[in-house]
Amino acid sequence: MTETPTNITSLRPSTLSTLGLGSPLDIFRRGRRPVTAEEAVTAVFGPPEHRGSLVISGASGIVGAGKTMQLGSRLEPFGVRVVALDMPGAPDGIGRQYPGLVRAFGREGADRVMSNITRLTYDGKSLPPQLADFDPRFLLEAIPEILPIKRAHYEAFRAEYPDIEIRSVTSGFPARELGVGVAHPAFPHEINKMWETVEAEPSHIPQLLWALGLVPVPVADHWSFVLDVIFCGVTQAAIRYHRASNMPYWKIDKWVRKILGPNPFRAHDAIGAKGANFLTWSCLHHLGEQYGELFEPTPELIERKDSGQTWYPPNHFRPLVDWELTEAEEAELRQWLIGPMVQMASLLLEEERAHPSIANAIGETCAQLRHGVLALARDLGVEGSRKAVTDYHRHHPEAARGAWFPDALEVLNEVGLQQLYVNAEHDGRVGSITLSRESYNWDVDAELNRAIDWLRSEGIERVIVSGDFHLATQLVGADTAEFFPALDEEEEGYRVSSAWSKTARRLHDDFATSVAFLDGKRCLGGMLEMVLHCHFVVAESNVGLGFPEVTLPVVPGMEGCHWPFRRAQRGQWSKLAELLLGGRSVKAEAAQGWLIDFAGPLDEALRVVWALASGDTGDQGEVQGIERRPLFEGPLEGVAAELDKAETPQMVAGGVAIRDTVLAATAASLGEALEVQSRHSARFMPSAACRKGVVGQARDRVERV
Amino acid sequence: MSLEPMLSRPRIPYGTWGSSYFPAWQQSALAEVNIGQFAGEAAGRIYGRRRVPLSEVDYLVIGSTVPWHWKFWTAPLISACFGRRVPGYHVEQACATGLKAVLVAGAEVQAGREVAAVVTFDRTSDSPVGVFPERRSHERTIAISDVWDNFGFDPATGKSMIATAGNAARKYKLDRREVDELALYRHQQYFDALESGFLDRVLVPLEILGVNGRSIGRVDSDAGVRRLTPEALAAMRELDSCVTSGTQTHASDGMATLLVTTRERAKELSPRPEVDVQFVAKFETRVAPAMMPEAPAEAVKGLLQRTGLSLDDVAVLKNHNPFAVNDALFARSLGCDWRTMNRTGSSLVWGHPQGPTLTRCLIEGLEEAVDLGGGYVLVFGCAAGDVGIAALFQVTEGGN
Repeated sequence: MTETPTNITSLRPSTLSTLGLGSPLDIFRRGRRPVTAEEAVTAVFGPPEHRGSLVISGASGIVGAGKTMQLGSRLEPFGVRVVALDMPGAPDGIGRQYPGLVRAFGREGADRVMSNITRLTYDGKSLPPQLADFDPRFLLEAIPEILPIKRAHYEAFRAEYPDIEIRSVTSGFPARELGVGVAHPAFPHEINKMWETVEAEPSHIPQLLWALGLVPVPVADHWSFVLDVIFCGVTQAAIRYHRASNMPYWKIDKWVRKILGPNPFRAHDAIGAKGANFLTWSCLHHLGEQYGELFEPTPELIERKDSGQTWYPPNHFRPLVDWELTEAEEAELRQWLIGPMVQMASLLLEEERAHPSIANAIGETCAQLRHGVLALARDLGVEGSRKAVTDYHRHHPEAARGAWFPDALEVLNEVGLQQLYVNAEHDGRVGSITLSRESYNWDVDAELNRAIDWLRSEGIERVIVSGDFHLATQLVGADTAEFFPALDEEEEGYRVSSAWSKTARRLHDDFATSVAFLDGKRCLGGMLEMVLHCHFVVAESNVGLGFPEVTLPVVPGMEGCHWPFRRAQRGQWSKLAELLLGGRSVKAEAAQGWLIDFAGPLDEALRVVWALASGDTGDQGEVQGIERRPLFEGPLEGVAAELDKAETPQMVAGGVAIRDTVLAATAASLGEALEVQSRHSARFMPSAACRKGVVGQARDRVERV
Repeated sequence: MSLEPMLSRPRIPYGTWGSSYFPAWQQSALAEVNIGQFAGEAAGRIYGRRRVPLSEVDYLVIGSTVPWHWKFWTAPLISACFGRRVPGYHVEQACATGLKAVLVAGAEVQAGREVAAVVTFDRTSDSPVGVFPERRSHERTIAISDVWDNFGFDPATGKSMIATAGNAARKYKLDRREVDELALYRHQQYFDALESGFLDRVLVPLEILGVNGRSIGRVDSDAGVRRLTPEALAAMRELDSCVTSGTQTHASDGMATLLVTTRERAKELSPRPEVDVQFVAKFETRVAPAMMPEAPAEAVKGLLQRTGLSLDDVAVLKNHNPFAVNDALFARSLGCDWRTMNRTGSSLVWGHPQGPTLTRCLIEGLEEAVDLGGGYVLVFGCAAGDVGIAALFQVTEGGN
């Protein structure tokens, strides 16, 4: 556990603190975010009356154009002009973004964003004189990955604008080589919020990104950052398996998806093989020089770097011969894939390339790993991880010559690695549990239990449950991949439902006061079920709340079919039924009193949370008239009649099953309802409707190779 | 007795080879595929199973006889189908293709290549129809179904393939009962090899995908092979002298592949590096018009004369025998017992996809020789145009 400067004791340091923004508990105590968007914009671009501009160079490229849109749409309301700079002959990458912008913001909004962008061209050597009219304050460089050209580019800007902040989007050069900081974004650049940042000290730039609703994640200054080590590394592992086995790339891609999560080859083709192959080669080339054979680009990658050829066969050559694997072949394939991932995990740990939760989240958020590399290694355990790498080295002995740090894996047993997704902290009186994973899975469940145990052992009776204000920008529900085994086996569904429900009940039973705080875009499904177990639920006004399970279809398994009914007035049950049976979301401000306890503007909501959690205004929640809604423990009567009043679409299998579950679980006592709900939820999982639905289809996509 | 091999450098690495099953035409998913693409992808799978990375391959010889979609691109395209961009060459000599391609690969290695792959294939199902301007015909245009119309008409003689078998049977006064007995025996040899597991070392089952990525069938048998009885054979209608549907092969689809490399690389690539497979000699000949079944016997005679060997020196005799007449004639002509030939099956039984037929014969022959502890392997066969081809390989250090 860690002492922070604000006398907060935590299980492990919060990731927010890596940005110099304190801890989540600090935010609740202060009743405001550590920096607002206006403050952050002012710090970088100057006050409104002297506001400078953002310059994005290489703005017509894939990265530059995407970031011009992402930052342009966020900065336009603050009057920050955006200058898109590129060479005269560059293809129009920005114009291509317009349809997407219209989809996101409507035509009027898109036009507003576009008209705030000024496109200038230059010869690559001298800056256009018109640039001075825009008072450039921040240069985001997205030009080709050639070091001397980049350095000359920075010199040109510094000569004209000595105080300008410069960040490079580089995929691989360390800041020390570039001479500027790094803000390396993840694909797809229009919508992916994550940026790896390299800063000597926490600066205004990551804080600006954070304040604009993006996710800056500080990483250490090494050749290639965490994302590229992981993503290029998994691509490399897949290519190496091709070299060893002849398995075609399209087939390896499916196996990588099944075993790890991403489709590295499909991703390269989707991004654009020529550019993506070059970037992957570039990262691996530099990593290979630094760390040896584990990363050394293979001839196949070099060939595709030079040719721009796609990895998947063209449409007229759709594959004809399938590759069935024997058990032994599959075991070997797993060794080829998992071994390098664990070896890379050892490198990340040895070099302390990022806060463990960040290093892990980068893999999940940006590289589509189902479990981040550190979670993967943690699941294997210290000895299991070492064995995975040793097994891999038997196939590829050259990889053992560098970048292998078996001792670094010892930390897998330490709390920082044990709490990758859930942190807890307290100030001696009020505790906070924060989730940094947007979907609930077995890892989150285990970590949440450990966090609760720790707070209880610290004598904490009051707790706030929320996202972490950093890595999790929303709470989307259960990770449906965890349901896959339940599609075949009812008992597996029961295990998921009952275990997760028991964890959720701890938020109600183990604390004198528990307060959930919801911000971001939405809180849905299993995550909503989980937080509804808190004594109070407070949300920012615009958070979308809902149970989309009926649309999948699955039956909510974490007591969503009875717990909210037990805390709502009878007259409100039809609204709950509409949520459960309709599958549509409701804004938090419209859900007060029957689903949640308070919704309001962010700062007000934060203050309410603290008042309720700290008990400064009374344990029964006499805050703005909020009273603790009682939990009715006996069987509920009249539920069927209230359900009939609900305006719901015509019910098919999922709706019927959810209605049946509501009736059965509410007819039981609170003590029995968990069992009833879990059984109903589990029974529906192997049904044809569920297996053919979204979850079944997702399983087919993931597991069919 | 040991001979100076005609090609000193090339070797065939034991156990790295493989073949698809040869399902009869129109009886499997192979009837649905671009056979060139299939062969390229199947080669990748077979070498994967044999633990040979195709990154080792620096040259490709392909062999096929039936035109296929994008045939123009030949070997370079097939190599792309197994994920490599290597140069290569297309060999085509009707039913001799499968052996000739191996000999060409041997010559390539002799000339300096390190690892040449041989991939032979054909699809007789739904064979293409070529439309040729032909001003001498009254139709002005002639459409030829590539497989069947060619089988039925040798433009040089005006005779069909089946007629050559009838001609040969009459010339050698073959007895229908002996030919039936031979055909029955060949089938029994095949089923014995199948049931013993011998063919599992040669044949690789393959799952075929449709355009939507779903399986459209599994090629895991020589579909179309029948269990014959003496009575059934005897009752079959004679199509020409000694030729019935039971004593001739059937059209089929498939591919086969093997590697040709140096002695050193063969040791690295083979699961049994002690086994050495050398190219010893070859002979090609052409016999009188419309006497095709004579050609293999004449080719073997020429080869034996060239090498100074006799059939007694040969451990394994393996031939492509589209007609049982071929084997009866061969035994009569060479003075041997046909029971000693084709001990693990032959194309008379498992069908004839043309391009890969003699490649599979060779692979089976080499496997058989290793089982026997080594020796000479004589592979031969006939080809359209009354052509005969024979090649001799030497297997040493073998044995179970």
